[in-house]
Amino acid sequence: MAIVVKLDDLLHAKRMTLTDLSDRIGITLANLSILKTGKAKAMRFSTLEAICTELGCQPGDLLAFEPD
Amino acid sequence: MSKNHSTLLAVTRGLLWLMLTLIAAAFLFVIVSGGALAVMWPEIAVEAKNSQIFLDAGNIRPQLFALLAILAAVLAAAVYIVRKLQALIATAATDPFIPANAARLRHIGWALVAVQLLALPLGSVARSIAVSTSQFADMGGINLQSILAILLAFVLAAVFERGTAMRDELEGTV
Repeated sequence: MAIVVKLDDLLHAKRMTLTDLSDRIGITLANLSILKTGKAKAMRFSTLEAICTELGCQPGDLLAFEPD
Repeated sequence: MSKNHSTLLAVTRGLLWLMLTLIAAAFLFVIVSGGALAVMWPEIAVEAKNSQIFLDAGNIRPQLFALLAILAAVLAAAVYIVRKLQALIATAATDPFIPANAARLRHIGWALVAVQLLALPLGSVARSIAVSTSQFADMGGINLQSILAILLAFVLAAVFERGTAMRDELEGTV
């Protein structure tokens, strides 16, 4: 997919693990893992808001468009 | 899942098993009748004449064999339909929106088409040998309910296909 999720980079910058983020925003580790590995087909605004709030970022920091 | 829903599923499961039992009994009847036609024809011909149901009771043996063969094919299709329904019901309690269920419903639709197609020669053979006022002559033919059931099965198959696609999309939503 041309949409790339840069969750790994953001977590690395914040020195945070996926498990930490999962505990803080209340989204299951399995779902965050789907998002991180680019297997997600869609993303809820509520998920985007929770991640951006916790990581102090903008949606554009999390998502990027890279043409195939 | 609600209690009403699970009760309904349990009742449906029971009814499908009852149907299979009835089909097995009907199949046994077809086999026994076929055997009787083969070995006891003179007695059956006399009985057929006395019943006054048939036009030419002495010459209906091949037609009766044909009717039994068609009935056996209809019963085989019925077993196929009930088995597919049982598989469908088995998934209804947990996860009904899977590609296999859309395929099952389409197969049921085609089996119903086969039953309706078999009903046509069944009706014409029955009418050719029986007195038109007898119940025997009402057998088979085109049935509006069967056609509605065929349409329903194909529409449901399309609905399940769409439902499965939507469920897949929802599962990939984070």
